[in-house]
Amino acid sequence: MYYIHSIASISHQDSFNVSNVCSKLEKLGQESEVIAPNYKEYVPPASLRRLSPVLRMGLTASIECQNNTEKEFDAISVGTALGCLRDTEKFLVTFHTATSDFLSPTAFIQSTHNTIGGQISLGLKNHAYNMTHTQNNVSFEVALMDALMCIDEGKKQVLVGSADEQIPFLELMQPNLIPDNYPLTSGASFFVISPEASSASVCVQAVAVRFNPTDKTGEIEQFLANQQLTLNDIELALYADQLPVETNEKTETLNFLEYSGLHYSASAFAMHIAHDSLKHSDKRYALIINDMCSDKLGITLLSKQ
Amino acid sequence: MNIHITGYGLITSIGLNTEENVASLRSLRTGIAKGRLDNTKAYNVGEIHLTNAELKEQFKLQTDGSRTALLGMAAAKQAFEGHVLSDQIRTGLISGTSVGGMDVSEIEYKNYLNESNHNPDNYKHHSSGTSSEQIAQELGISDFVNTISTACSSAANAIMMGARMIKSGTLDRVVVGGTDSLTSFTISGFKSLMIFDDQWCRPFDDTRKGLNLGEGAGFIVLESDKSLEKTGKKPLARLTGWSNASDAFHQTASSPDGHGARLSMNEALRISELQPGDIDYINAHGTATPNNDLSESQAFQGIFGTAIPPFSSTKAYTGHTLAASGGIEAVFAILAIRNGYLYPNLNFKTPIAETGLTPQLDFEEGKNIQHVLSNSFGFGGNNSTIIISAV
Amino acid sequence: MSDLKETLKEQIIEQLNLEDLTPADIQNEAPLFGEGLGLDSIDALEFIVLLEQNYNIKISDPSEGKEIFQSVDSLAAYIEKHQ
Repeated sequence: MYYIHSIASISHQDSFNVSNVCSKLEKLGQESEVIAPNYKEYVPPASLRRLSPVLRMGLTASIECQNNTEKEFDAISVGTALGCLRDTEKFLVTFHTATSDFLSPTAFIQSTHNTIGGQISLGLKNHAYNMTHTQNNVSFEVALMDALMCIDEGKKQVLVGSADEQIPFLELMQPNLIPDNYPLTSGASFFVISPEASSASVCVQAVAVRFNPTDKTGEIEQFLANQQLTLNDIELALYADQLPVETNEKTETLNFLEYSGLHYSASAFAMHIAHDSLKHSDKRYALIINDMCSDKLGITLLSKQ
Repeated sequence: MNIHITGYGLITSIGLNTEENVASLRSLRTGIAKGRLDNTKAYNVGEIHLTNAELKEQFKLQTDGSRTALLGMAAAKQAFEGHVLSDQIRTGLISGTSVGGMDVSEIEYKNYLNESNHNPDNYKHHSSGTSSEQIAQELGISDFVNTISTACSSAANAIMMGARMIKSGTLDRVVVGGTDSLTSFTISGFKSLMIFDDQWCRPFDDTRKGLNLGEGAGFIVLESDKSLEKTGKKPLARLTGWSNASDAFHQTASSPDGHGARLSMNEALRISELQPGDIDYINAHGTATPNNDLSESQAFQGIFGTAIPPFSSTKAYTGHTLAASGGIEAVFAILAIRNGYLYPNLNFKTPIAETGLTPQLDFEEGKNIQHVLSNSFGFGGNNSTIIISAV
Repeated sequence: MSDLKETLKEQIIEQLNLEDLTPADIQNEAPLFGEGLGLDSIDALEFIVLLEQNYNIKISDPSEGKEIFQSVDSLAAYIEKHQ
């Protein structure tokens, strides 16, 4: 089993350091902003000065996860769909407008996708396995698959999460890069996964990704059948915009994009919601269906033991 | 369970296919020269002299994409040639890239800054994940697609991820490797780090000043025992070891003693159940930056003591192809095992004062090479090692 | 010279994003790297950019920076000499 031991989300919701994120959720308007903790309480100023918002969010959420966990992480798996956009754009401007051969290097250095994972290893002085996955809307799901594989290989304390950031230029890239029916947001959600239960009760039971699915309903039913479950067993279904399956009246459904806003790794925040919902209710199964891009389907099943 | 290697393909500045690459390696012919394009002409780079249209034509590519994706398709297609898709064999593609579709985006962004002809439609190629989806589409692979982006260790990590997914039973067969095209973004980036050598790069030489960038792609095909039974493919080599560890020292610099590199090499040896003495050749990361080569040399001494096997960096041939390097060098490792090759470390004259190590200096063939260790290290202290062994 | 040092401190704070510092926090003779302000090799490259952009001084080999960037004093002395 893959128990979820600690969660830290920094999002447009009041989600950091709250015991039940479900009690705080509000639908986002067009003009919402990240509700950020005081990063200075987590990251020394010498490091913080170089960190763009997505790096601050990812690093701080990871530090919070480590603070709530006794053992050091023995693997770190990060998903990010578009990586460090702010530094990427900054460096594009730097070299496109350069008048001399001397260019400021910091934005370039901080622009690679694995700066998030790298800063986590540096910040935590962690020498373990450190992977960065990027696969559009299923970036978090593939990072989660890696994390579960690490547990199967014998790892005991795996940090998995995702981070993506909104920049104004992204709106110009719509709808070619991402859909445009929700406000663009930033978000980072990190989880500690362990094979040991101790005080945890909610597990990631299974996760899968499907590419070019022709029959989403069939894929989801098959995924559940592999777990000896049917849609009737699902008490909470989280989805992105449109629920691609028919559920019965007992199933609570929630369009997570209304709460996370739009960034491609928002299904990680949906997993935070699902976890807290199971933990604080008598529901047993929650399903996260992520088809933000129509050609890629992420399916994640959480269960309470 | 064995992880069998049943295919390989590459495209680099020293050759568009295996034969051309071997011919260049054998005749000590580097691909690094003054660039021929507007954004490369001021630099020594390992450039592939085919336009995107020529790439499409030469490799009969059906799928549109950034240059990064097209190079990836060219190499992955060669690797996957002769393999047949089947419902019975779950097949995936895992590619490493650091720039993704930046070659397209950076031109479009310039149009945006100049307020002329800005066409946001072109950003559809931007995402690194999309470049892998385009490569997978070209091969017809849709069971699983994943992109690893850990800078210069990306392809090595993609290979490792593929091996683990086969071992876990999630996939039966997987095409793994990496691709990166030359972009103004990375050229300007490494210039800003002041780690270009305006001459040919000199890996492991005491006078080394920095790297030359290159472009290219390298992919290999991994299969499980079960897959092999169904495909009837003849294994060419085996992937026996893999590891990733964090240096946790600095965002760009390696620790002086190569701590992360040692962790990575040790763990890969443990997974392969080999001793350091079993390694017959090391394809080093060897970027020719003052920092990397000293740190990696110290790590070699830490692992192998005074009995360091023949080692070389092939980056003086190809240039540093960033995320693709681990894939290209994995193909070099397979060729070393299949043909008994040892590759020379071009442009070497003087050992590094602190370590005194001399790399392999001549091209040799017909050697008995059973196990090759290949290193790839990336920004963020991301250190990876794979070990490829004879069948 | 003292004006130059004050200007330099402001430029250092700006170039290196030392947002929590004021010029008064940087002593003329205090080491900038290592145990001083805790700057590193990336900052050394930013210093090179700062010198080029503001003083038209070109340092092409980063290893030359070690001596020059020891302190505000050494930086100012170098600028005076090379401008």
